[in-house]
Amino acid sequence: MRSNLVILGIETSCDETAASVVARDAEGRGTILSNVVLSQLEEHSAYGGVVPEIAARAHVEALDTLIEQALVEADCRLKDVDAIAATSGPGLIGGLIVGLMTGKALALASGKPLYAINHLEGHALTARLTDGLGFPYLMLLVSGGHTQLVLVRGVGDYERWGTTIDDALGEAFDKTAKLLGLPYPGGPAVEKAAAKGNPGRFNLPRPLVGETRLDFSFSGLKTAVRQAATAIAPLGEQDVADICASFQHAVSRTLNDRIGRGLQRFRALFPEVSDPALVVAGGVAANKALRGTLDVLCTRHGFRFVAPPHVLCTDNAAMIAWAGLERLAVGMEPDALDVQPRSRWPLDSKAETLVGHGRRGAKA
Amino acid sequence: MIVLALDTAGVDCSAALYDGAKNRILAERTERLGKGHAERLTDMVQEVLSEAGLALDAVERIGVTVGPGSFTGIRTGVAAARGFALALGVPAVGITTLEVLAADWASRHPGKPVVAAIDAKRGEVYAQAFAGDGSPVDAPVALDVEAFRQLAARHGGAVAGSAASLLAAAGPEAEPDRFPPSVLARLAHAAPVAHKPKPLYLRAPDAKPQAGFALSRT
Repeated sequence: MRSNLVILGIETSCDETAASVVARDAEGRGTILSNVVLSQLEEHSAYGGVVPEIAARAHVEALDTLIEQALVEADCRLKDVDAIAATSGPGLIGGLIVGLMTGKALALASGKPLYAINHLEGHALTARLTDGLGFPYLMLLVSGGHTQLVLVRGVGDYERWGTTIDDALGEAFDKTAKLLGLPYPGGPAVEKAAAKGNPGRFNLPRPLVGETRLDFSFSGLKTAVRQAATAIAPLGEQDVADICASFQHAVSRTLNDRIGRGLQRFRALFPEVSDPALVVAGGVAANKALRGTLDVLCTRHGFRFVAPPHVLCTDNAAMIAWAGLERLAVGMEPDALDVQPRSRWPLDSKAETLVGHGRRGAKA
Repeated sequence: MIVLALDTAGVDCSAALYDGAKNRILAERTERLGKGHAERLTDMVQEVLSEAGLALDAVERIGVTVGPGSFTGIRTGVAAARGFALALGVPAVGITTLEVLAADWASRHPGKPVVAAIDAKRGEVYAQAFAGDGSPVDAPVALDVEAFRQLAARHGGAVAGSAASLLAAAGPEAEPDRFPPSVLARLAHAAPVAHKPKPLYLRAPDAKPQAGFALSRT
């Protein structure tokens, strides 16, 4: 095997169209040679959320140009890469098809192997690209689509310790914002309003606090926010700020409890790990208040808190390229060109289905 | 010029290789899949290449159906075509499914005007009129059945495609539309290279901006 491996990554599972070229040296150190992301925020903002058909339409018009740009910025031709990595699930099927088909065509035309990557694996392995983290570690993924606590044991070896039983945390932020008339996406808007609010004004529920299992739930909190807000409508600026602050405080306390238990379980399971770490990923990881909570929590439990830069926390193709590189480096077989896109694809195949039941199986 | 033609816009998944200089189809595959085009298409491309004894880098142009048709199907083909074009450094050309239907019909009825029309369901028809010489009379549109009936009457009454059955008083349900890759390949060969293939949906995404959800503000 050559000492330096290079992969082109493609990501189209939600509302970001992305392409990236990443290299990995013989010691396992990664270098991002280019990382291009086109956000569709504008296209979806009027709808207060991601519209799958609009997302798919935008992906197919933009992706090839982005790939070209990623290759140019990396000063790299397609024939110089060792493999193509494309997200093939979980996510919105219309977008996944665009990315995966493009990846298949590139792989066939260039004679390079194709790695069909699980989007969640991309998030799970990012901290090894940014911080050179060793296995095992804990990963908290908090985004608009996912809320999961995952034990990362190795490449392709994941154990889901907790997941949401209803809404994702990012979804709860978006719905709170929508209710209060704040702009989409809700995360940054709620955080901004919360900064001027009184977190003690509303006593909102802290879902599942005290439960030993490590799952999350946010739909009850969402309802409580609606009831509290409806009771005092019409809302003034300060009311909105107080609701946001109270909501964020409830979320912080929930995370504090849930993740705290996860850290303890990790300690008990891996007493020999001297430098345990918690990694955050996902758009919600950008929230400074929640980051602060997790940082303090980690310090208290003797964990290193690893928060990759924002552009690598939210959806991007560098993490997909990197997941491909990790698979390639440990000698995992590439995928056949008839590989299917999968809207649902749990990272941990043994994990019990908690949300998204039905004939298509567990969501993630 | 060697053209690789790809179609995933309807029930079929098709690939063909066409030699423009010899005006000959070198290899052709069509499977009536209904769904799963994204899994099958790349293998099918390898099959036509191997049957024709060619490598992919012999291909000098990609032709693809851009719709109207299944939204997901169109994107499957267009994404693959644009991927091949990027990797091979050759142009990709988009051909509408209505053009394919009209050209296929014209090969059996030379010199006659026709309206190519696809039953888009939900009371709509994707339609476009073509003159006797094969050139389009106007742009492709989505019409209700009555407007489609008038369009067909204005152009001599001949209709190519599944929407023809909507004009009949009664009768068997129309077969789904099929877009022969050999016809597509010839059209792609003759078409000018203008811009990258772009899906032609003729229908807006099914989404409404949300209003009235937020609580009142002071």
